[in-house]
Amino acid sequence: MNEKYGNLIPTGQLLDGKPRTILFDAIKCIGCRQCVHACKDWNDHPRTTVFEISSSNWITMEPPVLEGLSPLWARNSCMHCEYPMCAAVCPVEAITKYEEGPVVIDPNVCIGCEYCIYACPWGVISKDDLTHKASKCTMCSDRMSEDKSPFCVQACPVGALDFGLQEEVSAKARTRAQEVGGYVYGEKEAGGTQVLYVLKEKKESYGIRSVGPQKYPKHKISLPLMLKDLFTLRCGLQGKVRALYLAIIHPRRLLYRYWPWRQVV
Amino acid sequence: MAAGGLEKLLVANSSDIFPRQRKTTLPGGYMGRILRVDLNSGSMKDENLPEEPMLRKFIGGQALATYILLRELPLDAKPYGPENKVVMMTGPITGTGFTPGGTKVTAVYLSPLTNHTLGRGAASGFWAVYLKAAGYDGIIVEGAAPKPTYLYINEGRAELRDASSAWGKGATETEDRLRAEVGIKDAKVMCIGPAGENLVHAAMLCNDYNHNAAHSGGAVFGSKKLKAIVVHGTARPPLYDRARLIEAGLRWRKTLMVRHEAEKRTAGHAVDLGAAPNFNFRSTVIEESHIEGFDKNRVTLRPCFQCQRLCPWDVELKSGNHSGTVGHFNAGSEWLDTFYNLGVRGNDALYLAQRINDLGIECSHFSCGVGVAFEAWEKGLLNAEKTGGLKFEWGNVEVIDRLLDMAARREGYWGNLLAEGPVEVAEAIGGDAPKWVVHTKKGTPALHDWRPHFGQMIREIVASGGMKPQGGGSVNPPPDLKYREKWGPLDRNDPAGWSWSNALSEQYRQFCGLIGGCWFAQMHMKPDGLNSMIDSFNATTGWNFDIDQALEAGHRSAMLQSIFGTQRGWIAEHDWKDVGARFLEPVPDGKHKGFTIAKWLPELVYEYHRLMGRHEKTGRPFMDTLKKLGLEEFQEWAQLD
Repeated sequence: MNEKYGNLIPTGQLLDGKPRTILFDAIKCIGCRQCVHACKDWNDHPRTTVFEISSSNWITMEPPVLEGLSPLWARNSCMHCEYPMCAAVCPVEAITKYEEGPVVIDPNVCIGCEYCIYACPWGVISKDDLTHKASKCTMCSDRMSEDKSPFCVQACPVGALDFGLQEEVSAKARTRAQEVGGYVYGEKEAGGTQVLYVLKEKKESYGIRSVGPQKYPKHKISLPLMLKDLFTLRCGLQGKVRALYLAIIHPRRLLYRYWPWRQVV
Repeated sequence: MAAGGLEKLLVANSSDIFPRQRKTTLPGGYMGRILRVDLNSGSMKDENLPEEPMLRKFIGGQALATYILLRELPLDAKPYGPENKVVMMTGPITGTGFTPGGTKVTAVYLSPLTNHTLGRGAASGFWAVYLKAAGYDGIIVEGAAPKPTYLYINEGRAELRDASSAWGKGATETEDRLRAEVGIKDAKVMCIGPAGENLVHAAMLCNDYNHNAAHSGGAVFGSKKLKAIVVHGTARPPLYDRARLIEAGLRWRKTLMVRHEAEKRTAGHAVDLGAAPNFNFRSTVIEESHIEGFDKNRVTLRPCFQCQRLCPWDVELKSGNHSGTVGHFNAGSEWLDTFYNLGVRGNDALYLAQRINDLGIECSHFSCGVGVAFEAWEKGLLNAEKTGGLKFEWGNVEVIDRLLDMAARREGYWGNLLAEGPVEVAEAIGGDAPKWVVHTKKGTPALHDWRPHFGQMIREIVASGGMKPQGGGSVNPPPDLKYREKWGPLDRNDPAGWSWSNALSEQYRQFCGLIGGCWFAQMHMKPDGLNSMIDSFNATTGWNFDIDQALEAGHRSAMLQSIFGTQRGWIAEHDWKDVGARFLEPVPDGKHKGFTIAKWLPELVYEYHRLMGRHEKTGRPFMDTLKKLGLEEFQEWAQLD
């Protein structure tokens, strides 16, 4: 991990260090949203709207119409990038990439600066209205440390979600894509993600974003937000101190945060 | 009338059911509140759920709802009078998300189909889950509104709103309109179609596109000018032991017999039963033409909230005269047999099925009525003069389509007759027609040809009349109940054991409903099918029921149901005497040709009531039974000798 990430982003290990992947098969998906509710159930989130990504709704099924009423369905949630820009821009290093795949925000460390929200190429991070912390899918890292599959995966009633070791799931995805005359999404996007989709139609028909192959893709954090963060006490003094300290010991990270035209690793 | 007399007449004294302030801890799974809505005045009140001992006894669903109704409904109430009440209850496992089938709400009321027995409609889907998310375990609807109204409950706040924009509209459109009106995409709607508004006696409650709670609830809503109840909320029920519930729920899930898309392209349950009703139950043969065009349709499974059994489905017709029609259906396929029975085949049957669901008529009520009329036409008892020019010919889709509208709106002579029911249709036709009716106590069985099967026939006959019964033992006893030895041979040509099998299956299916579970997701045929369900219930509530206590709770629910009938004039003799003759005729053809349970009547019915602890002829419970079930307060209705 250190070779791959240096000290650019915090890393960790949950279980055995073997990378894992979630597979979403759009051809099998019936749009029932059982994965969406299962996510809420496992994480004890309130039954807020299932049609929008929020701090209490980490997955949406697109398009945002009632269950069953579309011929095409796509999953929209954290892709667990291999090179997660959200983690790279976090000034307090609250986002960890685990060897097994999950990219996880630690709410105890997060200061609510919103950088990760703008950095995410899929727009699947949101801010909790009550705690003001960033929030998103954890790939059920808590379950993974007990060697269990993510709760959404085990909830799927038609086997449209699968989970396993990265190599096996990638191979499965390719075989499946070949079978149905489709293609795999997520293998190249943002340098590769640990959620793969098997799609048949064009990405746009599913409402899925086009994301380039660049690792740590360019972020969209606005200048006013950055200035506000640098020159006001937004996010609290403690957060500022921590951010300053981390900037001193890991200066390379500043490149990713403030100079989006920076050299890519 | 003297004050004492009035008191006796009005048994409404429920202040001891709903405590002002709880003295006992609320068990897990419950939200703790019931909403009482008085449509006369438009006032609303929150009632606390009963104290723990009473909850433990009745749990929820049908039992708790019926108990409330028994305590509150005046003995002289009329089904369409403002004094009738609809009590709707969920159960503790409704909406936890961790079990299959945790989706149930049960509504009870005095049935306008029979005028003297309990009416009950139960629905799955999503509505019940969101009622709990809105903060309520149940609703009591009283009185009648002066104008079309709907009840909107959002995050614990309830209000009555004007429903004039949706009045007259079909169920699907009503759902869309009201959801748009409240402006919340996640809101769930339970509503009535035109049939309910016009007091078609067997009108249904419709929810979440694919779901219908049949057996007259829609008509009672209509009499109260209540078009719909829209619910939305974000709360979730508290759980006693979440980890254990997750484990038990996964075990339950493993017992499910999962349905597949391919099944939705068959003739449905008729295939399992080995008989389809054709031409008013005069032939049972299933032919290729029954499913013509099904292979071309686009079918999407559309499961209920967190249930992996995959019963409901949507269809887009891709062939036939009504190509492009979108239909929303649930399991069961009664609506398919409904139109097979009228000679309709293939995609035309699916088209009409969507129409009848949207209008909100219970399909068997319509099919058994029209079936008699069509047979009368065939046999020359009716002609164009008497039918207003309509040709009552088998398979005439246009005429059936027209009759659906007429029935739902009580339009003209035939519309009114069909709305009344099949018995009335037959009596109006006269001659031999009354011998051709399929009915039980003037209600109609879920429209399948149950006649070749012991378990199902006993179930249908002893049901509360026009109410989908529970029970129906199968040839395989539940593995989890193997320790009980009295199963009998359960041979399809031998009556031994079938009454006991029905009594037991009624009890565990009742229990499943009480806890808020769907009995389509309850799989007694597989090992762990019952135990995993009981464990899920225990983990949710913190109680520790064993299988005997679960059966006893189901037994108690069934007993409350019959006490309700007893109070209003039902006797057990009605069960086998007040049955349409056609329903007891030998199977006319096919692989079960010649079979009928009629030759074992009334003994089978007697035996069933005895085994349930009732007198075989009066149907009144024995005192011992009431004591065993803790229902001594109803002793004045007991059989004393």
